[in-house]
Amino acid sequence: MRRNQAFTRRWRGLAVPFAAIVLWALVARLDLVNSALLVSPAKVLDTGRELLSSGVLWLNLRASLARELTGFVIGTGSGLVLGGLLGLWPRFNRIVGPSFNTFKQISLFAWIPLISVWFGLGDVAKVVFLSLAALVPVVVNTADGMRSTPATLLEVARVYGYTRAKTIWHVVLPSAAPAIFTGVYLALVYSWLATIGAEYLLVSGRGVGNLLIEGSEHFRMDLVLFGMVAIGLVGWLMNASARTLERALARRLGR
Amino acid sequence: MASTLSYRVAAPAASGRQRLQGMARGAEPFLLPIALFALWAVGAAQGWISAQVLPSPQFVWETLSDLATSGDLWLHAQASLQRVLVGFVVGSALGLLLGAAMGLSKTAEDYLLPTFNALVQIPVLGWLPFVLLLVGIGEPLKYILIAKAALVPVTLGTLQGFRQTPATLLEVGNVYGYSRRQQVLEIVVPTAMPTLFTALRLGFTKAWLSLVVVELVASSEGLGYLIVYGRQLFQLDLVMAAVIVVGALGYAIDRLLDWAEARVAARHGARPTPKGLL
Amino acid sequence: MTSTVTTDDLHIHVASKRFDSSQSTDGSLQVLQDMDLQLPPGEFVSIVGASGCGKSTLLRLVLGLDTAYDGAITLGGEAISGPGLDRGIVFQDHRLFPWLTVEQNIGVGLRNASFNAQQKRHLIAEHVALVGLEGFEKSFPHQISGGMAQRVAIARGLVNRPRVLLLDEPFGALDALTRARLQAELQRIWQKERITMLLVTHDVEEAVFLGDRVVVMQPHPGRIRRIVPVNLPHPRNRSDPEFIRVRDDVLADFLAPDRRGPSDVPPTAQPSAAIGFSSERIRFAW
Repeated sequence: MRRNQAFTRRWRGLAVPFAAIVLWALVARLDLVNSALLVSPAKVLDTGRELLSSGVLWLNLRASLARELTGFVIGTGSGLVLGGLLGLWPRFNRIVGPSFNTFKQISLFAWIPLISVWFGLGDVAKVVFLSLAALVPVVVNTADGMRSTPATLLEVARVYGYTRAKTIWHVVLPSAAPAIFTGVYLALVYSWLATIGAEYLLVSGRGVGNLLIEGSEHFRMDLVLFGMVAIGLVGWLMNASARTLERALARRLGR
Repeated sequence: MASTLSYRVAAPAASGRQRLQGMARGAEPFLLPIALFALWAVGAAQGWISAQVLPSPQFVWETLSDLATSGDLWLHAQASLQRVLVGFVVGSALGLLLGAAMGLSKTAEDYLLPTFNALVQIPVLGWLPFVLLLVGIGEPLKYILIAKAALVPVTLGTLQGFRQTPATLLEVGNVYGYSRRQQVLEIVVPTAMPTLFTALRLGFTKAWLSLVVVELVASSEGLGYLIVYGRQLFQLDLVMAAVIVVGALGYAIDRLLDWAEARVAARHGARPTPKGLL
Repeated sequence: MTSTVTTDDLHIHVASKRFDSSQSTDGSLQVLQDMDLQLPPGEFVSIVGASGCGKSTLLRLVLGLDTAYDGAITLGGEAISGPGLDRGIVFQDHRLFPWLTVEQNIGVGLRNASFNAQQKRHLIAEHVALVGLEGFEKSFPHQISGGMAQRVAIARGLVNRPRVLLLDEPFGALDALTRARLQAELQRIWQKERITMLLVTHDVEEAVFLGDRVVVMQPHPGRIRRIVPVNLPHPRNRSDPEFIRVRDDVLADFLAPDRRGPSDVPPTAQPSAAIGFSSERIRFAW
C-alpha cells in the first residue's frame, strides 16, 4: 500500500507539465492565438532534432562548455589558493579580506564592460569573467571552512605536538572538506550561469547563449525554447553529478 | 538566563606600544585599497596606462560629481530602484504564496515542486530571449525577469520554513484543541518567520543582481544602461563611476537588510530544538 | 477549586498497546500490557520505571493523543477519545512558544477555552502567581532559566483547571538543584489546588517524595510490577527515616530484584486500586 502511494506521488509531478504541453499543442493546432511566435511543441522538437543532427547544437554547446570548464578550472584553482591563504593566515585575512568582501558585493556582470575594454570581446574576455565567477564562491567557502575548524580539535592537535603543517593537513583540511566541496560545486554552477550571460554581453564566437540570441533576433521561438531546454538540461546534469559526487565524498569521509 | 558569574579584571592602562599595535590593526583593512588606489593614481598621472584603458581617479571623480549635480545620476538610479522594487515585490509575493501552498499541503507540493525545480534550472538570462519575444523590450520585461530572480529563493525558503515546524510545538497545539487554521496561523507561521525573512533577504539580493544584468543587456535607462552606454562611447570614466554607484547602492541595501534581519532574529530569541531550550 | 458534578475518578485500563515495529518477528512490539490503575480525585500518583517501560506511552493514552489500544480509559465515567481541556500536561521539554511572552504562553492553554477575555486575564494572573513568577509576565522564554520555563509550562498545564494534570518527566532536563526546588514547588501547588496528578519519572526519590502511591513499572512489555503506598504526611522530608525506608524499598526493585530483605514490602491490597502483575516470575524492573 505504501509503495503505491510513493508511486502515485511521483506521477503527480508530471501532471502539470503534461497538461501544459497538451494545452500548448491544442492552442497551436487550433490557431487560437494569432501570432507568428506561436510554435507548436512538434515544431520545437523538429528544430531540436535538426540542431542535433546537423551538429550545430553540439558545436555551440561544446564551445560554451569548453569556456566554462577553462574558467572553472582557473577560477577554482586560484580560488583554493586565495581561500587557503585567507583561511590560514590571519594577517593576510585582515589585510586582503575586507577588500575582497567589498569586491564580491558588486555584481560580477557589472565588470563585463570593463573586461571587454581590457580583454576584447572574444574568448579570453569570457574566460576571465568565468574565472572570476568561479573564484568567488571557492574563496568564500574555503576560507570559511578553514576558519571554522572546531577549536576543540585544534587543541587536541596541539596537545599531541602536531606541527603547523601536520595540523593543516590532518585536521583543518578534512574538517573544511565539505565546505570546500560546496564552494567548488557552487563554482561549477555559477560559472555555467555566467557562461550564458557572458555570451549575451560579449557577443562573438559560438555558444549556447548565442543560439538563444540568434533565436530572439530572428523571432524564432522554436529555437529559443529548445535552447532553454538545452541550457536547463545541462545545468541539471551538472547539479545532479555534483550532488552525487558530494554524497560519495561525504560517505568516504565518514559523515 | 541562569547567570554565569564572569570575573572581569580591570584592564591595565594600555601601554604606548600596545596602543600603536591596536592602531596598526585598525589600519590593516585599508592597506590594500590605499595601495591599489595609489597605484591607480600614479599610473594614470605618469601615463603608464592610456586614459582609454583606465582613466585617472580625478577624472572618474569629476564624472561622478557631474552626474550627481546634473541630476542624471538620480534619474538612472531611480529607474533602477523602481525596477528592482517592483520586481522584488511581485516575485516575493508569488514566492510566499507558492512556498506556503507547497509547505502546507503535501498534495500541492507533489504537483508543483517538480515543475518548479525544473524551471529553476534555467537561469534568469536564459529566460530573457523567451520573455523578450513575448513582451518586447519595455519595462514588463525587466519586471518579469527580476520577479523570477526573486521568486526562486523566496519560494524555496518559504517552503522550508513552513515544513520545519517542530512536532513538539504542533503537539502542544493538538493538546489545546487548536483547529488547523489556528495551527497554521499561530504555530506554523510564527515558527517560520526567521526563515521567511532570510529567504526574502536572499530574494532581494538576487533581484538586485539580476537587475544589473538585465539592464546591461536590454534597457535604455538605469545604472546598468549607464555602464553599457559609457562602454560603447569608450567613456570609461562613466563606466567606472556607474560601477561605483552600483556597488555602493548594493552595499547600502545589504547593510540595511542585515540590520533588519538582526532585529527580527533578536525578537524571536533562540529557536526551539527537539529537546527544548536552555 | 473546581466544582465537580460527576465523580472525577480516573480509571485506566489498558489490556494491550502495540506499536508497529520492523524489528520484531511478528511486526509489532507490545509496549503495554494489563495496566490497571484507578485514581480517586485529588490523588498524586507517581509512576516510576526505567526508560522504555512504556510510561510515557501510557500518559499519551490518558492524554488522548493516541487512541489505538485495547482497553478503556475513563474520566468521571466518560471515555477518553481525544485531547481535551479537562486533562493538562507538562512535558519534559517545556515546549513554550518562543515568540510569546510568559503570560501569552500560559494563555495558549486558554486559547480554545470558553472564558471571556477578562476571565482569561484573571486566570492567567492567578497562575503566574501560583508558580511564583510575578514580575516575569512579559519575559520571553529565551530570557528566563530552564527551571522558570518549566514553571510556566506547569502554569499552562493548570490554567484550564483540568481535572487531571499529567506530568511526563517534567524535571528531567533540569540540573539537580533546580529539580529539587521545583519538586518542592510542585508539592506546594498540589497541596493548594488538590488536582489529581499523574507523574511519570525515572527518579525514584522524586516519585516517593511527591506521590501518595508509587506505581513501579517494568518493561518488555510495560506492566505494573507493584504499587507501593506512601503514607507520609505532606510536606515530605527527605531525611525522615520512614521516607528513606520507602525509597530504598522501591529502589530495590531496580537495583537488586532477587534480594528479599526485611525492608521488602509485599504488595498489599488497596481499596481503590487494582494491582496488576502476573503471577509469573517477577522480572527485573529494568
